[in-house]
Amino acid sequence: MARKNGQELLLDVRDLAIEVVTRNGPARIVDGISLTVEKGETLGVVGESGCGKSLTMLSLLGLLPNKISVIGGSATFKGRDLLAMSHKELRKVRGGEIGFVFQDPMTSLNPVVRIGQQVMEPLLYHRNMGRAEARKRAGELLKLVGIPGAEERLDNYPHELSGGMRQRVMIAIGLACDPALLIADEPTTALDVTIQAQIVDIVKELRAKLGMSIVWITHDLALIAGLVDRVVVLYAGSVVEDAPVDELYENPAHPYTRGLLASIPRLKDEGAEKLSSIGGTPPEPGRRPAGCPFAPRCPIARAECERAVPALEPVKGEGAHRVACFAAGEIAEAVA
Amino acid sequence: MSDMALKQEDVREEPPANLWRDAWYRLKQNRMALTSLVIILALAFIAVFGPWLTPYDFLSQDLIARNQPPAWAHPFGTDELGRDVLSRVIYGTRTAFIVAISVTAVATLIGIVLGAFAGYFGGLLDRFVMWFTDMTMSVPQLLLVVVINASLKPPLARWMEAQYLETLNPIYRNSIIIDFVLVFGSMALITWPPYARLVRAQVLSVRNRPYVTAARALGLSTPVIIARYIVPNALGPLIVAVSAGLGTAMVLESAFSFLGIGVNPPMPSWGNMIADGLRVWRNYPHLLLAPAMMLAVATVAFSFLGDGLNDALNPRGQK
Amino acid sequence: MNAMTKTEPLLQIEGLTKHFHVRLGAFGEREAVVHALDDISFDIMPGETLSVVGESGCGKSTAGFTILQLHRPTAGRIRYQGRDLAGLDEKALRPYRRELQIIFQDPYSTLNPRMTIGEAIAEPILFHKLAPKGEVKSRVERLLADVGLPARFAMRYPHELSGGQRQRVAIARALACEPKFIVCDEAISALDVSIQAQIINLLLELQRKYGLTYLFIAHDLAVVRHISTRVAVMYLGRVAELAPRARLFGNPLHPYTKALLSAVPEADPAYERKRQRQILQGDVPSPMAPPAGCRFHTRCPLAIERCRVEAPVWRETSPGHHVACHLAEGGGE
Ligand SMILES: Nc1ncnc2c1ncn2[C@@H]1O[C@H](COP(=O)(O)OP(=O)(O)OP(=O)(O)O)[C@@H](O)[C@H]1O
Ligand SMILES: Nc1ncnc2c1ncn2[C@@H]1O[C@H](COP(=O)(O)OP(=O)(O)OP(=O)(O)O)[C@@H](O)[C@H]1O
Ligand code: SF4
Ligand code: SF4
Ligand SMILES: [Mg+2]
Ligand SMILES: [Mg+2]
Repeated sequence: MARKNGQELLLDVRDLAIEVVTRNGPARIVDGISLTVEKGETLGVVGESGCGKSLTMLSLLGLLPNKISVIGGSATFKGRDLLAMSHKELRKVRGGEIGFVFQDPMTSLNPVVRIGQQVMEPLLYHRNMGRAEARKRAGELLKLVGIPGAEERLDNYPHELSGGMRQRVMIAIGLACDPALLIADEPTTALDVTIQAQIVDIVKELRAKLGMSIVWITHDLALIAGLVDRVVVLYAGSVVEDAPVDELYENPAHPYTRGLLASIPRLKDEGAEKLSSIGGTPPEPGRRPAGCPFAPRCPIARAECERAVPALEPVKGEGAHRVACFAAGEIAEAVA
Repeated sequence: MSDMALKQEDVREEPPANLWRDAWYRLKQNRMALTSLVIILALAFIAVFGPWLTPYDFLSQDLIARNQPPAWAHPFGTDELGRDVLSRVIYGTRTAFIVAISVTAVATLIGIVLGAFAGYFGGLLDRFVMWFTDMTMSVPQLLLVVVINASLKPPLARWMEAQYLETLNPIYRNSIIIDFVLVFGSMALITWPPYARLVRAQVLSVRNRPYVTAARALGLSTPVIIARYIVPNALGPLIVAVSAGLGTAMVLESAFSFLGIGVNPPMPSWGNMIADGLRVWRNYPHLLLAPAMMLAVATVAFSFLGDGLNDALNPRGQK
Repeated sequence: MNAMTKTEPLLQIEGLTKHFHVRLGAFGEREAVVHALDDISFDIMPGETLSVVGESGCGKSTAGFTILQLHRPTAGRIRYQGRDLAGLDEKALRPYRRELQIIFQDPYSTLNPRMTIGEAIAEPILFHKLAPKGEVKSRVERLLADVGLPARFAMRYPHELSGGQRQRVAIARALACEPKFIVCDEAISALDVSIQAQIINLLLELQRKYGLTYLFIAHDLAVVRHISTRVAVMYLGRVAELAPRARLFGNPLHPYTKALLSAVPEADPAYERKRQRQILQGDVPSPMAPPAGCRFHTRCPLAIERCRVEAPVWRETSPGHHVACHLAEGGGE
């Protein structure tokens, strides 16, 4: 499934499968996810809570928790398979060529270490900088992410910063070694809209300045609309739609994506009395239906959907917009 | 909308699980804890059915067969008075369990009452209870028991004797009762503080849980909230502490009996058997080994079970 | 507009203030006062949805809690049916507690993990004797049906339900009290987007069915616009602006409201890429040391000298539209 414009792929994840060991035996959490990131591209990964967004990204860096393991697939980053690397090699990549911003800024910073030290850590380890040089660079990084009085802040402890500032420190750590790829896992979920807007702006600026690729994980379709180039929609551990951002918002092809977009109240249109919503709840891992994972909630499900899993295929024969749904063709026609 | 919302729910009916069942599942995964549980159940069985299990009376002396090494007739050998060591160890188990359970029960009860009140009402009451707890904890345990023993035992013994003379009821002749009431009563009096602290801390944390606030918002009254929302949720860690506490109480009992201020001969206890065995261990190591092994096995089992329960009751602490 | 002045308010909040005393430092040696809520006043009309929005820590929850007397106010009055709730002791409050309910943000922690769903919903019915014993079961089933859950869920424990289902249970439990007024404290924030829409629809449906009044605390402005009658914007323990929905979104007067509105992302890539956001500089000041004068002056793009020293008064610029800013123009019709 080579990309049409032939851009160089920075990250190429194929058929990634992750399992967890539970009391009822192993359960698939991630079931054959494939996604790609081009050089300089910003990819949005959206999906409901528990659909496997975080674990997918953690698996790339060998950071999966106990009892959860990768059982298949590959993840090629700059020509090397991340999933086949030894711990030692992975450590070199982590925080070096791939920067990571964790979901929860409150617990991912070490509360008893000054933030300056925490920003310096990857510089000391990956760049072999001296302490003085690393400290200077750490100050610059904090300024880069827009922390006022950056140099003085180096000696603060995490609890002395506000939530938004802590999140910016996390971003500074992710950026410390000029990564080729920045993976940000719901970096703004815990923050207010005004602070959220600040952080999105900072990331946009940095992207323009540093030219890196970004994977931005979120469940907020509105937040990433102006930020990303392409969106991958996950549902229950698999990719259900993968499309350029404008195409996805204008012509969503998967019933889940359509439902998701329709259930967001818009500021622009005056409150329609009733929001359209998707009934039911996403299936838990281990209880997923045999056919299309969305079938129990899908308003247009048919007999076929409960038997077979639809493959991720291009809509209307083009390469860029792909969807996993038996009814995709009809939806596209109905819209057109 | 509602029927649509539950389309999927209706298809799959899941087995109703509950917290205790989940905890039991997690406990079963922990091999150490499970082994410990089996050992403890076996020991408890021995303690309960001891009198029917012992091959000999623990007091019957066979002066011809003294200090016998282990053999078919006496699997753990005999002691210096020719008593069967296995029988005595079995009775010692009985003593250990009775003491551990009664001491822990009294201590836990004191702890729950003081801790729950201190935690829920706070303020001056809390401060007083905590001061009292700290005071009790700061007194060396051994010293306290010795003092209680020395000052209360003679008058109590005299009173028992007087009762006996009046009623001729043989129960007053039983010195074991004095041991139990006095020594183990005092042990309970020194071991309650950790329970009180634990219960207080639990109540303090549960008291501020959102579901307690939610219950207050429903307009429920304080006693209802304490009984139905706070106590059941504060119980988990207490169960853990009690399990570990049973082991500690056994060690304490043995320590006191070893020093001669606990269970007194001829009533067997692991502690006084260890004391007896220690005097002659060079010549007859089995006299020391048998009770010491029992004590070690029991306390290790209780402590592993306590750890296991701690993990099992705390779903988040799996890592 | 006139309709509003004719009907009696359900709740009248006057000068409500809540300060928390906290201890700081490793040994709790320093004491500080958190000005969580400072002198707020507004009325809540029967049958309306009054939304409260604002940044994290600005005192939204505190306002809800204090109105319900789950926190006792430091000062101020809450009039309900002619009574001042702030003056009542716990026992006298009980019948009012039943009528004034709350649904919390986190459906995972507001249900007692050791009680089945059925027990949890039956509890207030039994305690307040809202139905004869024999009818409790059918009452519970009806409430479950009201929130769209099948009757057999009564046998389950909270941890066997999904987040959205738990939130439905929390709503059923509040409804069991036959309330007049419900505070929804971020009742949908912890839920997934597709589930959020389900719960919003449910809340609206129940409001119509039972004539409920909501105080809807939220930080998602799009949701607020969708469901509110009026909207109050809070900043650092004070209400900055309060207006009917259309006016607040159509003609915001307070600089903070404007910044807030401009920060809301839209699910529209082309519009998002073009749009100029008004980004606030600086961080939120601490409620332990709120700035003098206007509390927003440290971040306000329009601040003038006067803002640093003089707190703006709470005034009505047009009927029903209140604002606290020196520079906000009156009228605006
Ligand atoms: N340590 C763990 N043990 C068992 N299951 C886990 C563990 N961590 C995650 N899971 C399960 O794996 C699934 C995917 O989790 P993941 O964290 O990737 O979700 P997510 O898409 O990032 O969700 P969110 O939006 O809530 O962060 C979930 O169903 C979750 O319950
Ligand atoms: N029990 C308490 N003791 C001390 N301070 C408190 C207490 N409850 C709240 N506060 C403080 O009061 C302020 C207002 O808190 P509140 O919970 O009302 O904010 P909020 O607007 O609901 O925020 P969020 O959106 O994060 O829920 C905060 O600074 C908070 O730290
Ligand atoms: S494959 Fe079938 S069930 Fe799945 S989304 Fe498409 S139409 Fe719905
Ligand atoms: S009073 Fe001054 S500082 Fe406050 S909002 Fe108005 S202009 Fe800004
Ligand atoms: Mg996640
Ligand atoms: Mg709140």
